[in-house]
Parts: sequence; structure tokens; C-alpha cells
Amino acid sequence: MKTLILLVLLLQTPEDQNRRCLLCHGKKDFGIVENGKFKSLYVNYDNLKSSVHKKFTCVTCHNDVRVIPHLIKPKKIHCLQCHFAGNVVGAPVEEMPEKYKESIHAKAKREGKKAPECYDCHGIHNVRPPDDTLSTVYKENIPSTCGKCHTKEKGSYEISIHWQGIKKGILESAVCNDCHREHDILPPDDPRSTLNPRNVVHTCEKCHANVQIMKKTGVPIKQVEAFKESFHGIALEFGVLKAANCTSCHRYHDILPSTDPRSPIHPDNLAETCGKCHPNASQNVAKGKVHILPEEKEAGIVYYVYTFFKIFTFTVILGLVIHIILDLFGQFRRRRYGKK
Amino acid sequence: MNDKILRFSRTWRVQHLLLMISVFLLIISGFSLKYSHTAIGKILIFLEGGFEARGALHRISAFLLIFTTIYHLIYIIFTKEGRKEFKALIPRKKDFDDFIKSILYDIGKVDKRPEFDRYSYKEKLQYWTISLFVLIMVISGAILMFHNYLFAVFPKWIIDLSLSFHSWIATLVIIFLILWHFYIVHLSPENFPWNSSFWDGYVDEKWLKENHYLEYKRIKKT
Repeated sequence: MKTLILLVLLLQTPEDQNRRCLLCHGKKDFGIVENGKFKSLYVNYDNLKSSVHKKFTCVTCHNDVRVIPHLIKPKKIHCLQCHFAGNVVGAPVEEMPEKYKESIHAKAKREGKKAPECYDCHGIHNVRPPDDTLSTVYKENIPSTCGKCHTKEKGSYEISIHWQGIKKGILESAVCNDCHREHDILPPDDPRSTLNPRNVVHTCEKCHANVQIMKKTGVPIKQVEAFKESFHGIALEFGVLKAANCTSCHRYHDILPSTDPRSPIHPDNLAETCGKCHPNASQNVAKGKVHILPEEKEAGIVYYVYTFFKIFTFTVILGLVIHIILDLFGQFRRRRYGKK
Repeated sequence: MNDKILRFSRTWRVQHLLLMISVFLLIISGFSLKYSHTAIGKILIFLEGGFEARGALHRISAFLLIFTTIYHLIYIIFTKEGRKEFKALIPRKKDFDDFIKSILYDIGKVDKRPEFDRYSYKEKLQYWTISLFVLIMVISGAILMFHNYLFAVFPKWIIDLSLSFHSWIATLVIIFLILWHFYIVHLSPENFPWNSSFWDGYVDEKWLKENHYLEYKRIKKT
């Protein structure tokens, strides 16, 4: 008899087991009054059933609920109950919880400020994998997820070419986490941050030096290389942080192409943009090319000068070497025949 | 027969020394920027005291070069000796003939060595090439240095063009110094390991007779 009960228990699906919880929590108007306010305790079970945790029962996470109905308020659960290194239930860990501990969010949390934890971004009962279009961390949904708190930044981001790209279905376009990272988000003044002036170029380069992505979006691939060879790029590489990095001119959340009149790099706005650092910048700064290597034909006159000098320098080397060889040849020939 | 003859006056030598120091510093500090992505560039920038110190060194050396240039211009315009030296450096048709003759002499078509005056075609080429290079470098360098003021006057492409010129002419200067100047005054068999006249001004009579026969004859006459 004992074995039979055990067998019946084992054969129960999570759904069968959860049914007991849902007797109450499955009712839409179920709730309690706490601190004079009504607090809904309704759980949309469909959310859980389609989440990554569909195999688990309610009490797997709410593990302080031993008897149902429970008489005490269950403690707040934490993802680290399972998602820690060496857990036995097979919860994937990777290094994310560790990375989160380093982040500005975790730091704020430790200081007692309001800051997101795992479930603020990943959802509570509806945790879905990042490639699920309904997931809160699906590429297209990330701006809304972060924008729950960062409303101003979200508004600014939504006019950007990156968001326009996402809307057009180019999912390689950057959303929040492509630049800020996700778990180990750090403030720009932290030297480890992807947004630190020292690292900005490398952050943008991840996509802007990627041939496939740039081909898809039609943005010239050589721009990053040309920037790195420019004086700004070299100075930055050597830690001169007052030199302009990508964001100094392009801004960051509301990045727009030079064809857009709202863009700081639109020819009409360049004088003002360059003028932030170069006090005498006038309309002249728009007369010329930017982010173009001298060996590219688009560089115009600079290209022709570059090409001329390339050939000329080679000719000079050849001429001088021939001169040396002739001179040595003459000297040794005369020495051999004893001529003076 | 092996007497010493004074070939370069002290002012001449001081000018050469100033030019040598400034160009050497300019090359070191400029090369390290152009090749800053390479290991040698990084080492040079470190030795120069960092990126911004490198820039300061480049500009200080540039002022030394400009000072030397002004000194030289005053020398060739306002002093008798300078005017005489400058006249001797003016290219003539004879230089081109000498150049052709030298080649023919080297390959054995002509038996007689061409006779050079005070400055041979090789030295004249040195002088005029470096003069032209200094002129281009000073102009393009000044545009780059004062870009903040010149933004109000010049379109951006002028500044890009100056950068291209500055970088390429610098490359040519290095090539020319090594393959022409260093070969002629250090490595060529007649001067190996070096011709010390740049330091003390004196050359052997024998050397002068072989390399600048016309001047040798003139000195002997007086």
C-alpha cells in the first residue's frame, strides 16, 4: 500500500500537484488586504506552464510551503536558491549571478536603494528563454524591460537608428544590453565598463567592424578602422581620454545617421558638434570626409595625394638603391682592376 | 701630402648639428605616432614619456628646426661666407652632366672620373631635397598644429591633406637620410666609417683631391 501511494505521487505531473495551489491562487480575485491595500495573489498559471520552469511545481521554489493551505506568508524566494554553482537540480548557472553581484544594480541594492533583481528583468512566473519572442529579455522586448525604470533613456533610444533597425526586423541592431551588457552593468566611470571612454570604441566595434552586420545595414565597414588611425583614435588608445570617442560626436541613446537633420553629425550641426572641443569650428568642418581611410577612393583629393606618394616613395627607394648598387659596383670594379 | 684642409666653417657645422638634432628628434617623435600601433612605436612613446609628452617633444623639436632654418636664411642672405656657400650650392647644368658621367664611370664606359667643384651633384641634391622637405613639413606641420584656429579659415580637407603630406614627406625624409645621406657620408667606401668633417670641419687633402678636384685646384692656386 505504501509503495502504491508513493507510485501515485511519483506519477503525478507538476500540473496535478500544482492544482492544489491553484484552488486558491488560480482565482482572479484572490488576494489579501495588506497595510490597508488589496494585494492580488492571483497567479496566471498559463505563464508558468509556458515558462522555462514548466516542469517544476509551485513548491519547488516556494519551498517553505509545507502544508496546503499554508497559514503563514511564504518568504520571498530568490533565484539563487537553485541557480548557484554546484546545485543538484540541474539549474543552469554559467557566471551570470556572479556577474550581477559586480553590477551597479547589485551595488544599489546593497545600499538599500531600489534596483532590479533577477526577476525584475527575467519575469517572475513567465521566465522564458531569450530567443522566445514573448520573453522579457527577447531582443525586441529589452528596451521595454529596461524602460520600466529607465523611462527617459527609453524615450531617447526609441528615436535612434538602432531602434529603427530593430523595427525593420534587423535584429542585429543594438538594444540596451548590446552596449551596456546585461548582468555586469557598470557605470561609465568604472574602467571595466563598456561605456568607459577607454572602451567605447571597442563596444561599438563589436558590430561596426563586423562585415556581415554592416553589409546588412549598409553602414561602411572601414569607419572603425579609419577612426582608430585618426588622431582621436590613437590618443584614446594611449589613455588621453579628453580625445573624442564615438559617443562624443554621435551621442549614445539617440544615435542617428548624418542624413537626419536631428543628428549631431548632420552637416548643418557639425560646427556645433566639433565646436564642443574645437572652439573655432565653423561650417568648414563639414567640408571634407570623416572616417575614411586615405587609401579609399571616397577620400577624394586625399586619396590621389596618397596614391601619388605611394608610387613616388616606391620609385625613390628603387632609384636610391640602384644608385648605391651602381656606386658600389663601380668602386669594387675599379679596385679589382687597380684603377684610380 | 696628407695635410688637413678646413672644409666647413664653425657656423656651417653648428647649423648642421642643429638640423641633425632637430630632425632626429622630429623623426623619433613623429615615427612613434605614425607607428603607434606597433611594438616599436609603443616603446618609443614610453621612452618619450607618454603620449602627450611625445607631442610636446615633437613641437619643441619643430621650433628648433624652424629656428635653424631662420638662422640658415640669415646666414645665406646677410653674411659673405653664407652667400658664397649658397652660390656654390645652386644647381647648374654641369651637375646633370656630372651625374650622367658618374654613372658611365661606375659602369666602366668612361675612364676618367668626373671632376667636382666644392659641392658635387650628390651634395646639392641633399641640400635642395632637405630644403624642400623642410618647407613642406613646416607648412603642413603648422596647419596641423594650429588646426583649432585654422578650422575657421580652411575646410577640413585641407587639414586631412596636410596630414597626408606630413606623413608621406616624413617617410621620404627617413628614406632619403638613410639611403642617400648616410650612404654618401658614412657607408660608401670612400667615407667609411664616417667623414668627420661635419664635426671638426677638416678633410684630408687627398680626400679633397679625389672627391672635389676643382675646389682642390682652386685652393692650391691661392
